[in-house]
Amino acid sequence: MVTQTSIIQNEQGFHMRPAQLFTELANTFESEITMTATGEDDEINPKSILGLMALGLEKGASVTISAEGPDEAEAVAALAALIASGFGE
Amino acid sequence: MIITEILTKETIHLHLSADSKTAAIEQMATLLSEQGFVSDAQQFVSDVLKREESSSTGIGFGVAIPHGKSAGVAKPALAFAKFEQPVEWKSIDEKPVSMAFLIGVPLEQAGQEHLKILTTLARKIIHESFRDQLLQATTPEEILQTLQF
Repeated sequence: MVTQTSIIQNEQGFHMRPAQLFTELANTFESEITMTATGEDDEINPKSILGLMALGLEKGASVTISAEGPDEAEAVAALAALIASGFGE
Repeated sequence: MIITEILTKETIHLHLSADSKTAAIEQMATLLSEQGFVSDAQQFVSDVLKREESSSTGIGFGVAIPHGKSAGVAKPALAFAKFEQPVEWKSIDEKPVSMAFLIGVPLEQAGQEHLKILTTLARKIIHESFRDQLLQATTPEEILQTLQF
């Protein structure tokens, strides 16, 4: 299992478009992926957009991404990089 | 965010007939405009449709959450509609949409307000029991009751 913590960079947080981009990317990986808002118990599957939006991540929020499976390292690295990019906003 | 502070009986339509996504959004925007939430329906619809072009707000499960921050919105607004016939929305799961929430946020307030409404709705819609309650509701009062959270 690979785990990494990222901080949301874009001004408007995880609204629908970032969530869609994130879900699309997550679905390109085979590994089981989970996400939690740091300090919260609720674990969501970012391959579902509703789960992502339900986290309600605002700018500056910290999120932990974990993946387990054949492409776990690539998955976590790519998803963390997408968050770090601020979704191009 | 308390949803029932911005959703009113008058902005709920349980038998909306629309033959396209655009028609559905236009009719829902009219509900908001009639109640004074939207000051310029044409501007608002154009902003919501522009938003749809970048990626569909059909989030799956037969639900769509079209939304827009717009100079045409006077105060944070929410409309809800169930459609007589499912509407093609280019959804993530490629299925047509049987109900939609339309969110409007004024331009100058577009920061976190918007995200809070989306988050609050997502946390409910994720539950199948909630979606079933919406589908089964036959009056605006029942919808409002379902959304008391």
